Amino acid sequence: MSIQSMDQLLPPEGVPLHFRIAGVGVRLAAQLSDLMITGIAALALFLFVMAIDLTTPGTLIAIASMLFFFIRIPYYAMSELIWNGQTIGKRLLKIKVVAADGRALTTQSLVIRNLMKEAEIFLPGTLLLTLDATRLVPSLLSLFWVMCVVAVPLFNKRRKRLGDIIAGTYVVHLPQPVLLKDMAKAIKQPLHSDQKFRFLTHHLEHYGAFELQTLEGFLRSSDRNKGPAAYQRHKTTLDALVDQIRRKIDYADSVRAEDLLAFLEAFYKAQRGYLEQRQLFGDKRVDKHHGTQDDPP
Amino acid sequence: MSDSEMIRSARFRQEREADWQKLAALVTKAETQGMHRMSFQEARDLADLYRQATTSLSIAREISLDRGLLEYLEALTSRAYLSTYAPQQRLGGILHRFLTSGGPQAMRSSWRIVLFGMLCMAAGAVAGYFFYLENPEWFYVFMPPDLSGGRGPDASTEFLRAQIYGDEGPEGLGGFATYLFSHNTRVAIFAFGLGAFLCAPSIMLTFYNGIIVGVFFGLHVDRNLGWDLFGWLSIHGVTELSAICIACAGGLKLGLAVLFPGNRTRSLALREAGHDAVKLALVAALMLVVAALLEGFGRQLVQDQNARIAIGWGVGALWMLWFLLGGRKHA
Repeated sequence: MSIQSMDQLLPPEGVPLHFRIAGVGVRLAAQLSDLMITGIAALALFLFVMAIDLTTPGTLIAIASMLFFFIRIPYYAMSELIWNGQTIGKRLLKIKVVAADGRALTTQSLVIRNLMKEAEIFLPGTLLLTLDATRLVPSLLSLFWVMCVVAVPLFNKRRKRLGDIIAGTYVVHLPQPVLLKDMAKAIKQPLHSDQKFRFLTHHLEHYGAFELQTLEGFLRSSDRNKGPAAYQRHKTTLDALVDQIRRKIDYADSVRAEDLLAFLEAFYKAQRGYLEQRQLFGDKRVDKHHGTQDDPP
Repeated sequence: MSDSEMIRSARFRQEREADWQKLAALVTKAETQGMHRMSFQEARDLADLYRQATTSLSIAREISLDRGLLEYLEALTSRAYLSTYAPQQRLGGILHRFLTSGGPQAMRSSWRIVLFGMLCMAAGAVAGYFFYLENPEWFYVFMPPDLSGGRGPDASTEFLRAQIYGDEGPEGLGGFATYLFSHNTRVAIFAFGLGAFLCAPSIMLTFYNGIIVGVFFGLHVDRNLGWDLFGWLSIHGVTELSAICIACAGGLKLGLAVLFPGNRTRSLALREAGHDAVKLALVAALMLVVAALLEGFGRQLVQDQNARIAIGWGVGALWMLWFLLGGRKHA
């Protein structure tokens, strides 16, 4: 999940935030859940109307579609208003409507995007259900329309449907904040206290932020519980990693087999402190090729 | 481990971690229970801590290379942003505002387009009328068979009269539902929805609907039933046909924004036109519901010709009053 696949949104505070755009699939799934919810509610009401004998066989379908209509129209606008851009289906799938200009969602834009849903999704949907093979031209026309409407979200970067474009909104995945521990604090002490890892400046000149964060990922994964096979793999990687780092940074002292992880953690801390310090002085090192790149004039 | 041994970004995190966790708890509360259930203290803390978190995030982006921390802060700030900037209005207020000011104001500000929509339909009606006078066979060309319900140049005058004054169609709730989803509602929705595709479909649909009205009128005038049909149509038609014209005007607004965006980008123009267009659509929807009520209940109850005309045009005058007077600032 790189920054490139995400979308930037600028809140009024002026600190850009990055969101992952919700794709067509997840939105379809949310739509289906909402359809089921409103459909069941409409069905219940319909059975009630039938039970108190307000219908005749000729008007059954009209009454059913009217009930469905009068339930789903307020459902979408109200649920998105109450839950701040989420219907129940969207809550289930952890996606959310946001305003493209970074401000609060307005009631107006929520009403607009959900009214357009009528024209975009339900009307063609009803058309598809009532298609009639004997009348070719209307069938082809409605098929064309459905394809146009379905294609609109595929042709823009933020996967906006027509209603989103008009209302100035789009749908994102809700980010999940998980606070992991700070690897620079979680230092394992070497088993033998006589050995203390020391890194000098020439040791730390080699790597950049990318390698540092890859190492961070490895260290985080080493805490997890694993099965025997995964443990074996982890051990091999650890060996290779320490070997490679020692060769690259020219670290002369030997590292005991039981201290490999402690070595890596100590190196991570030293390297991060060094790189962060360089960054403060304006020397951002993206990866290990930082030395070979031409500096901009 | 003592503070001095820690690197700078770890210290930065340690100092602020408690605040972040407090913010996370507040955000969860705001998301599950809603802002309006939170106490004043909590709501204020949420906004305060959110602004602190944005500052932390922008500092962390500069000084920290800890990806775990950066991702956490980004996610936390995003969540806090989303719950801080939640919509403030209630639905009831919106409805009230739409009825008292938004709807009529949108109608007044786009009266030219609405008038144009009505002219489209009127032109269609005149054309249809003369088509019928020229050759009654045109009736079958323009009139969809499910709409005519057996009426046509071949039907007898008595049959036509019975259709106008008889107990045709379902009544009550069923009738309401049937008429609500009738031909005219579909035309209105299409005229609005297709407007965004460069205006043409809306104009054509409205014109075509006018033609249908025209040939229908031609048929009845031919049988000396013109005045009776006028009453039969008036009771709901004044409202319903106007609704079609207004929906068409809403569609045209969208189409015009796509065709002539001016100095703005097309999507921006579409968004700005959308505000008025949606209000027009809502006005049209409201009118269609009223028309269905009139058609489902009123037309069966009121069999007298003049009363039908009076009700139909009276309701039309009420709409006109609403459009003209609603939401004006008191001088």
